[in-house]
Amino acid sequence: MANQKEVERLQDLAYEMRKKLIHLCGSYEGPVHIGGDLSMTDLLIGLFHHGMNVNPKDIKDPARDRFLLSKGHGAVCMYIAMSLRGYFDYDEIVRTYGQLNSAYGMHPCKVQLPGVECSTGSLGQGLAIAVGMAFSARLKKEEHRVFCMMGDGETCEGEIWEAANTASSYRLGNLIGVVDRNKQLMGCFDDDYIHLEPYADKWRAFNWNVVEIGGHDMNQIVDALDSLPPSNCDKPTVIIAATTKGKGVKFMERNLAWHAGALSEADKEKAMADIEAGYAQIGGSK
Amino acid sequence: MTRVTFTLGAILSARSVTGDTIVELAQKHKNIWAITADTGSSLKEFKKEFPERYIDVGVAEQNVAGIAAGLALEGNIPFIFGMIPFMVMRACEQNRTAVCYQDLPVRFIGTGGGLTSGAGSTHNAMEDIGIMKSLVNMTVLSIGDPNMVRDIMLLSMDYPHPLYLRLAEGKKDRMLYEPGKYDFKIGKGLTAREGKDATIIAHGEMVFEALEAANLLAAEGIDTRVVDMYSIKPLDKEILFKAVAETENLLVLEDHLMDCGLASSISDAFADEGIYPKKFKRLGIPQVYAGFGSGEELRKKYGYDKTAAAAAVKKMLTPALTAA
Repeated sequence: MANQKEVERLQDLAYEMRKKLIHLCGSYEGPVHIGGDLSMTDLLIGLFHHGMNVNPKDIKDPARDRFLLSKGHGAVCMYIAMSLRGYFDYDEIVRTYGQLNSAYGMHPCKVQLPGVECSTGSLGQGLAIAVGMAFSARLKKEEHRVFCMMGDGETCEGEIWEAANTASSYRLGNLIGVVDRNKQLMGCFDDDYIHLEPYADKWRAFNWNVVEIGGHDMNQIVDALDSLPPSNCDKPTVIIAATTKGKGVKFMERNLAWHAGALSEADKEKAMADIEAGYAQIGGSK
Repeated sequence: MTRVTFTLGAILSARSVTGDTIVELAQKHKNIWAITADTGSSLKEFKKEFPERYIDVGVAEQNVAGIAAGLALEGNIPFIFGMIPFMVMRACEQNRTAVCYQDLPVRFIGTGGGLTSGAGSTHNAMEDIGIMKSLVNMTVLSIGDPNMVRDIMLLSMDYPHPLYLRLAEGKKDRMLYEPGKYDFKIGKGLTAREGKDATIIAHGEMVFEALEAANLLAAEGIDTRVVDMYSIKPLDKEILFKAVAETENLLVLEDHLMDCGLASSISDAFADEGIYPKKFKRLGIPQVYAGFGSGEELRKKYGYDKTAAAAAVKKMLTPALTAA
């Protein structure tokens, strides 16, 4: 059972992060992938602030856990989760996001932003790269894990399943996939055309250890991360987190129009009010 | 390591040389990996000696490129062994975005260059140079001489960028250069034969074809230079413009689509520098899916074998015949 003080600390961070996301989205003139940012906010807080062993003061520490954002369009969410952890300066992110010569763009670039483990943005490519990193760690007898955050939509890509097959065949127990299972793609809902279910069974059929959680329940997120098998076990693990795209902002939730967008001042106020109400509902008092 | 006494034109398998060399490299360097998508026939020794650094993912080329990128991000030097069309085209976007965008030291060792696969158009590799040279940060080499293959693999240890090494079928490659006598370098070509009347520029297996064409021409009193432009990107402009200045007539001979291979890189260089040869001709694969047959047969069919090359040089040097 998760430590309640820790869960509350993480919930507070997720609350702060949602407000920062909305603030950034409202400050930038172009579209921000706010729907998928909000669906993985709780997961990224859980990962960067609890589950992963990372050290913003030594971003090359060989012992650090590695994190790849395969759903690279969620870069803003990662920048802010990392800024709350001490990697980056949030004000600088807001000031420069998407601007010429900024390190903070729509998709994360390792070359321009040290601390990012891998440049991503082309969907479906992250897991194979994570597999390569996991191979390397195992050969060097390093105990860290490699975490790969995927959107469920991008798992339509064949390369994901090629990588999934390799990971289980080579028994890469140090590899942890996390799927933001918000049941929406960019232009349609899961089941409109393509049917991803039986989703967990697909991963089981690829011989992965499967953990299913509610992706907005910090107790479940912490429990899942605390009970990961040891990194030298013989099966990769995938955490399938049931989430809601746009979570926390009523007019965005399960709304295809909010895959990405820009916020008017009025929308911004409405969104902030929703986030505060949601926080109060779980008993938040910050 | 297979040691064969050097004789010009003697046959040695470049594929087996790559297999021997990767073992040699892995013995010295702990960060060498070999990855393949079910095409690891040259890696028997490697997998025996370094099973923990050998990855065969089955038939999944995109995955291979991604895994290589992940390994390279962690300080490793992964060598991908594959058949060119699938390594280059199936995984094209992974090569670009996972490898080249991050400028990672992944080595792509591809076999079956040009029409040498013998397996028909699905397996022929006629677009690979055009595709690979268009990827920012990618270096493109095409090598026929098996000993050069070894030297380049060894020197690639100090090369911090992605590198594509194009081989022909890789089973019966011709020895062209006596080991130890040449200093092969990325970005350099070499003069395989001196000559003053015309120059044939070729790469890979076609260098031997060019040397044979030069022999045919010599019998008719035409002194033909042969340049081995094994480094296609970056291109050796020095050796190119030296040939332009000294021989004036240039023929490019290649086992690749003429429209996007070495000939087009050379044309680009002419345009960039504003320096042009008196005569320029290219022979290679036209816009066609070539069908079945051996490399030799197809070269003859599509007009880029030694006979066609010799005829083209002769034509360049005899304007009267051209008019007639």
